[in-house]
Amino acid sequence: MTAQDAIPDQIIVSTPRRQFVNHPDDVVEEALEGLEAAYPRLIRWNRDPSFVARAEPAPPGRVAVISGGGSGHEPLHVGMVGEGMLDAAVPGAVFASPTAGQILAATQAVSGGAGVVHVVKNYTGDVLNFEIAAEFATDDGITVSQILVDDDLATASMTGDGPGRRGTAAAVVVEKVVGAAAAAGADLERIIAIGRRVAATSRSMAVALAAGAHPGSNRPSFGLPADEVEFGVGIHGERGVGRRAFAPADDLADQLVRPLVADLAIGRGDRVIAITNGLGATTGLELAVIHRRVAKILDAAGVTVERALVGPYVTSLDMAGCSVTLTRADDELLALWDAPVRTIALSW
Amino acid sequence: MAGTAIGEGAGEWVPGQDGARPADDAPERVHAEPAGPDQAWREEAERGLGHPADQGSHQIGDRVPAREVCRQVSNLGGLGLDLDGAYAWIASFQRRLEAEATELGELDRRAGDGDFGANIRRALRRVERRLDEVPPTTPGELFLGVAHGFLNTGGTSGPLFGLWFRGIGQASDAPVMTLAALAKGVDAGTATVQRLGKARPGDKTMVDAMAPAADALAAAVADGLNVAGGIALAADAARAGALATESMRARRGRAAYVGDVARGVLDPGALTVALFFASALA
Repeated sequence: MTAQDAIPDQIIVSTPRRQFVNHPDDVVEEALEGLEAAYPRLIRWNRDPSFVARAEPAPPGRVAVISGGGSGHEPLHVGMVGEGMLDAAVPGAVFASPTAGQILAATQAVSGGAGVVHVVKNYTGDVLNFEIAAEFATDDGITVSQILVDDDLATASMTGDGPGRRGTAAAVVVEKVVGAAAAAGADLERIIAIGRRVAATSRSMAVALAAGAHPGSNRPSFGLPADEVEFGVGIHGERGVGRRAFAPADDLADQLVRPLVADLAIGRGDRVIAITNGLGATTGLELAVIHRRVAKILDAAGVTVERALVGPYVTSLDMAGCSVTLTRADDELLALWDAPVRTIALSW
Repeated sequence: MAGTAIGEGAGEWVPGQDGARPADDAPERVHAEPAGPDQAWREEAERGLGHPADQGSHQIGDRVPAREVCRQVSNLGGLGLDLDGAYAWIASFQRRLEAEATELGELDRRAGDGDFGANIRRALRRVERRLDEVPPTTPGELFLGVAHGFLNTGGTSGPLFGLWFRGIGQASDAPVMTLAALAKGVDAGTATVQRLGKARPGDKTMVDAMAPAADALAAAVADGLNVAGGIALAADAARAGALATESMRARRGRAAYVGDVARGVLDPGALTVALFFASALA
């Protein structure tokens, strides 16, 4: 028996982690202050009510695009603010919806008279607060329309009378495409149609190797035995839909991609945008290894990966794991994807 | 940061100490302690709500003869609610909520996530600030100010109350709000809360007090009552509606996650609505 064997499983997977925190209550505000200091040409932080807007507002007469949600998913959503993407992002506390008051203030601030799009990930609190803000915005004569992002295939059973699928990394695709359409001067109706089509044809699946911990907490939100992974996790540290055996990267990538291909009913001749997304603690090296397999599986199925992102875009604090998102692509969508963008997270 | 509950009321944070809290917008979770029917809590709530306008021998939920109520309630304007009357109502509501915030939070802890009391306190402070910054000139504007104060509250109950008060505020831009306008506003606000909150009467939410109050106000208008009489009937109806949530199984709201565990616990949102109407009569 080696010394390694003598260490109990639980200790291996739940070693207390240390964080760069001054005080847990201040993490979100201090992070926003730091980003504003780093990127003054891209973003402007409105302290109270808290929202982040483009440093240079879009010209008036354009449809404005806003998103938001709990913090802890960086670089989403603040990292998507800038030319060609979001006009404003509204950050809540860690894993908590922003208030309707914050969303209303951001909506009023960026409204250019042509309507405002709310891109909302499907969580009860987020949806309700965005809807309430939209209701109040109409009192000021602002037309608001919502695009709901609900791509998480692990929660497909929640549809029908339930809360529906959760919204995860497809938010990046929706925000990019919708932002590009708005920058090109499309009207509200057209932008909503494009955004809803993208949301409807996007699916994601995630797997966690280890749960993350809240700022100020030294315990991950769930434990895992060393020989198992949590499959079908969301982005709020909640447990997934089931435990599966820990396996080599290629095996795990297969388990993520195959259900997406089946659910989107894509096959030979179809085209997709793919995101291999890190959940916070997983390295770029590992993500690239996962994406290698994602590309191979899709290639073997005759599906063309037209564009791809590999990296941490929609994280869950310091969760170790990854998600794969596939979005059906066509020429119109790809043109919008390729349009110029200048944000903290995406730039081309 | 506005409207968050991280570390609320917690002591000094020390690096390395655990201060984990559950996700607010995560769709699953919530571990509330089992709570059976609890007579003490019910009595507490009934004390907090005061007694029905008619202090006779009738049981909770009995209909008080409307005209009798009118004779008993005299401290509200007869013809309508003016700005002073509306201010007095809101000030009384604030005092009642401050006094009950801990109890409301405790109810929420037993059936939800326990942030209700802290959120309500924060909302009241926001309301006060808003009314100072944008002084209202009509009762309608005052209720709109209250609405905006509640909007900056975390969670979902606060913003829903904001929507409800917006309905009341939008019903009248006159110096004096008539009972008909108040009835229309409460009805419109309740309809919006039901539409966005996707809750119906019987789901163990604030709607269980709002809907009966709206019905009572409409009946009072039809009966030709004055504002004081109408509000007294609404207070009675809201009170009965709130107390009835005790035996309901939650289908919407945070308590829905704990199912039968929440049976026997009064819904704090419904209680807040009942406190609102009762505050007018204090």
